[in-house]
Amino acid sequence: MSALLDLWTVVLVSAGAVFYLAGTVGLLRFPDALTRLHALTKADNLGLGLVVLGLVPQVGGVIIGIKLVAVWLLVMVSGACVAQLIARLVRHGSDPAP
Amino acid sequence: MAEFLTGAACFILLVVAVGLVRLLRGPGDADRLMAVQLLGTGSIALVLLIGVVSASPALIDVALTLALLAAFAGVALVRASTTRRPPDNSQ
Amino acid sequence: MTAQALRALPSPRAAALGRAFTLALIWLLLMPSAKPGDLAVGAFAVVAATLVSLRLYAPAAGSIHLRSLLALMPHFIWQSVLAGFDVARRAFDPRLPLQPGFVMCPLDFPEGIARNTFATITSMMPGTVPCGEIDGVLEYHCLDIREPVVESLWAEERRLARALTAGRRHG
Repeated sequence: MSALLDLWTVVLVSAGAVFYLAGTVGLLRFPDALTRLHALTKADNLGLGLVVLGLVPQVGGVIIGIKLVAVWLLVMVSGACVAQLIARLVRHGSDPAP
Repeated sequence: MAEFLTGAACFILLVVAVGLVRLLRGPGDADRLMAVQLLGTGSIALVLLIGVVSASPALIDVALTLALLAAFAGVALVRASTTRRPPDNSQ
Repeated sequence: MTAQALRALPSPRAAALGRAFTLALIWLLLMPSAKPGDLAVGAFAVVAATLVSLRLYAPAAGSIHLRSLLALMPHFIWQSVLAGFDVARRAFDPRLPLQPGFVMCPLDFPEGIARNTFATITSMMPGTVPCGEIDGVLEYHCLDIREPVVESLWAEERRLARALTAGRRHG
């Protein structure tokens, strides 16, 4: 069982690392600011999500596991909000607030 | 398992460091801000990995604080760069 | 495009209680401790956060039906997984297959919480990031405008219509 859980961790954390790599490659290769924004927010969100899910069996406790997932969800929501702000900044260069 | 997780943490650290080239190159404020956001999400993963390796759950709270800081940094920079210069639609 | 406000807005009191309850739940998730000191700090944080939220987002601006939204969570998470794969595929492809462009996406959600939540959720979908509004219509930046972007955004709007209650329409 523990070997299976370890395998789960290795596979998911590795996949997460690959998506971090994808985020960096996109951030460096994509041609303009808005396409780079896609690369950053989407790839890194998934990367962090996979790392978190991979770590859950290793933390030794349901409550800490839930907390880890909560961290990921909060990062996802705040990342999505900041991404919109950056997009508005690039597109309109003006304050999005009414 | 500890070796693997440490290795993964090092890999993510390296990838984030390479991404910071965008911070040097820019060209715009938004590009630099994106590099900082990459540093934010990258360091969260890093801290969580190290937290598991060293069996210190308190590091999850450090990760939360980093998330908060990344969000504040993003909002603050967007705010600052929109009030510093008049709006232009040249992009 | 049949997204109409299916639910009535809750009263301001109910909205405040609902938000405080949600925030308290988040606090307990992040700080799972029953010590009186921790709970006191949590109660203070929940009250402060609720007041800020009511100030920044008046209950009349719309409301979110949390249970319907949570029921849609698996769908959103799957979409954001697809989004990650989509970006990674393009980033690693030597030919860099991108056709970036802008589309306008007219919605039935009027200004307010409903539309903002819609924008935030769709920013995690494959290939789209909302980048502002022009005359009250959301504008999206797309990685590939050859794909049917607006159609899939409208499909999301139909899914979300039950979870997001629009604010009172002006006029």
